[in-house]
Amino acid sequence: MDFVGDPTLDRSRPETLPVTMPRSRAIRAPTTASLPSNLRIPSSTSSLVKTFGKLTRQALLDLVFQWLEDGNVQHFAPYLQADEGGKRDEDGDDDGLRPYPAERTINGVRNAYQELQFRKGGKREVIDRILEGDWRHGITLRQLAMVDMRYMDDHPSGLRWTALELARIDNSSSNESSACIPRVHASTFLSSLQQQISPLVKAHYHLARSTSLPLTVLRVFVTTSPYQIAPRQSVESLTDSSRTIYVAFPDSCPFFYTSMASPQTASKTSPAPPNSLVATDARSLQRLVRDAIPKALSLPHQRYTVKPTSLTAKSLEALLALRGPGRSNQANGAFSIFADAALEGSPLDPRPSKTVSPEEYNRQSASVHFKDTAGKENTATDAKDVTLENKRASKRSFADPKDAGTSKKRTLALQSRFGTSGTLSSAPLDRLDVRLLDALPGDAKPTEHAQQPTVSLTFAGTDVIGGIRKLAELGVIDAERMPSWMTGEEGVSVVVVREGRRVTKAGR
Amino acid sequence: MSTPSPNTEEETESLDSEISTIRAELKALHHRRRILTNSLLTSRPLQRLAKSHPPQTTATIAGTPPKWPDLSPLLHTSARHADLNHHRIAFSTTAFPFTDPAPGPSAAKNLLGVRIDICARDGSYVKPYYILLRRVGLHTPNNEAERQQQQQQQQQQQTGARGRGNRVLCVHRHTVPAVVDLGALERVYLPRAKAADAVGEEGEGEGEQQHEKEEAAPRKPWKHQPRKQNLRGFLREVRRQLVVWHVRCDGVRYLRERLGVVRRGADSDEENGVWERDVLAEDPIQETKIAKNALGIVALGATALEAVYVRVEWEDGRVGRFKISNAGLVERAVVMGDNGRDKLMEAVMTGGNGRLETLLDRLRKSAAESKVSAAASVEDGASQTASEA
Repeated sequence: MDFVGDPTLDRSRPETLPVTMPRSRAIRAPTTASLPSNLRIPSSTSSLVKTFGKLTRQALLDLVFQWLEDGNVQHFAPYLQADEGGKRDEDGDDDGLRPYPAERTINGVRNAYQELQFRKGGKREVIDRILEGDWRHGITLRQLAMVDMRYMDDHPSGLRWTALELARIDNSSSNESSACIPRVHASTFLSSLQQQISPLVKAHYHLARSTSLPLTVLRVFVTTSPYQIAPRQSVESLTDSSRTIYVAFPDSCPFFYTSMASPQTASKTSPAPPNSLVATDARSLQRLVRDAIPKALSLPHQRYTVKPTSLTAKSLEALLALRGPGRSNQANGAFSIFADAALEGSPLDPRPSKTVSPEEYNRQSASVHFKDTAGKENTATDAKDVTLENKRASKRSFADPKDAGTSKKRTLALQSRFGTSGTLSSAPLDRLDVRLLDALPGDAKPTEHAQQPTVSLTFAGTDVIGGIRKLAELGVIDAERMPSWMTGEEGVSVVVVREGRRVTKAGR
Repeated sequence: MSTPSPNTEEETESLDSEISTIRAELKALHHRRRILTNSLLTSRPLQRLAKSHPPQTTATIAGTPPKWPDLSPLLHTSARHADLNHHRIAFSTTAFPFTDPAPGPSAAKNLLGVRIDICARDGSYVKPYYILLRRVGLHTPNNEAERQQQQQQQQQQQTGARGRGNRVLCVHRHTVPAVVDLGALERVYLPRAKAADAVGEEGEGEGEQQHEKEEAAPRKPWKHQPRKQNLRGFLREVRRQLVVWHVRCDGVRYLRERLGVVRRGADSDEENGVWERDVLAEDPIQETKIAKNALGIVALGATALEAVYVRVEWEDGRVGRFKISNAGLVERAVVMGDNGRDKLMEAVMTGGNGRLETLLDRLRKSAAESKVSAAASVEDGASQTASEA
């Protein structure tokens, strides 16, 4: 069963791999093995400084302490005096010249970094200490992967992610229980993924759990050489970030996210024929990995395929909200009141639901509703007054924007159209591409289908839907008449619209 | 001259904190007052009194000043709310009408909402799950008929969700998590006449309908005899799967609570042990571990949000995994130690009445028995050696 996948046992896996450094002098033959985790990149590689420099000082120190933990230290062995043994005769006693003399024991290394922890200073001294001192014999691929992972944890919006859906190919015989969600068993999945990819490219795999989000992240580093050890001149390519592909698996839902270079090329047809394999650009390598994932997840009689979900965003939180394990996948925009359960409380709550604010239902209110506690007793009647007033206000002309009634009306319209999205929950989209297929008003010739002009709109910013809400709040957009895709109801970043409604048929 | 600024700063700080505590207290009291007021308003004697004197309020308009001038609308809303709550508690699945605020034809805006309330282990209710169903207008583009249908639908919405013949529904929006595969259930219980699967479940409104019409035209209608939709069956199945999921989650939480959960940083300073993130916890980022216990279990937790498989780890390195059935039984168990499988432990886990809740009792009992038998064997051995001697 799954026990080989236990992290406690997994830790011992890299140990069994052969030490590969000596083999480089022997015959190099192309193999299908994956790049070993303990493959060392020379510390003198200049791009390593850049890679490490992305992290903060504290993050670097945390990583070092993680490497030096008792369970991990054999995989990330620092350079000790014992390693110097043979060298000392050749180099002579130049210890005094080196800025960081080798420590005698692992505890000594730990103490050195503890000292750095307590002292204030720049991160440069930590990087120098790592590269020129304790890991002067090289940084392993695994260490590099951990640095990248840590960077991603600290900067969840650093990459652009595309959400894809896993679907069963044969759905006729669905078993009685739930779950179209495949059970991922880490090492089996990785080995079958490797089987898929290895005839084409050589890769290094690193699977880790995100510390800040409910995600399991797979980092795949792809090289094009089939040889075990990259030639010396291509050492720089081992730190090339465009050859790194991230795949994030959220917990318990049939989606996964890939960090893709371009969302537009996510072909909606079947996977492209592998004629572009000669091309070694980053995009085709990424497609290679993405196409291999459903095959690696598949089991006998349980084949998966990938469906596009037309959602690409920078923020992982947005992806988790819109294609995640929670309640808000299919309830956004106006329907976010249902996702946040802001409409009504538990059936044991004696308060009529109109008198309770959504914030209270969500138990997130700290001091929001404090200001209007004065007349709480009469809120029910107040609410009625408000609706009456609004009916009156709606009869008034829209011309006077300073009228309090109008802004109240606008607020109500805003609340009904956008629900709680943007206030209680937020899924910031950084880009929204819209294609309008409607005929221009005036020339009504539906027969000339091909001649119709299409209008494409692209919204970009930190939070597109939030921005549209702001505009509606200011009265620039009429909240009542705008189509539903503007409220983020569809939960997509690429949308094709006809007559204000989303059209989902693929292939246009 | 030295100014007493540190003193005043301290004073303002203390005053600020005092003000904030008083405000918090005030808020709590306000909250309590609201709960009490509304409970009083919904209370049975008051409601009965209000019902028994309905003419009094109308009579008072003419002459004597009313006794409770502001109360009758409040009483009315409270009564309605209480009614709603009673229905939600008693039937668990309730229907309500909802109007999509998006502009468009009014027929497409009327949605049938279904609310599923599930009671958790501690007697509180989880956030209700909602399913909003949309009518697929396949039959009559005729305006007259559409209006009639709409009226009929509104009537049905008022009377509750009844499965009628000529009404084709599809799920428009829902808040059911991915743990329950709503798409598959919809395909089974709410089949649509056309090959809707190919179009996808996300299809919205007119665009899709036009498509379906276009696609449907060349096909032979008699070959695709549509199965009848079964809304009741659909909702029953959705609710069952949600309840089963909650029961499983509650069971795993209960086991963890009985073993005792220690949070990292908050409850203890010791760093040793297996720190894990519990997927079912309210704060999944917080690292927790199982408190030290006599059973020697160092970790116990669901492997995924589904809470079908539970992973157990013992002090001596044994690792186990068991499956919770839909009925709340420990269905299968596998325990692996350094020397292969521990069949005895597996038998203990699935044995007895097999309930998830009594798992720890079974483990304790077997531990006690093995201790007794070990003692007995030691005694046996001692007596043997004694006899040999």
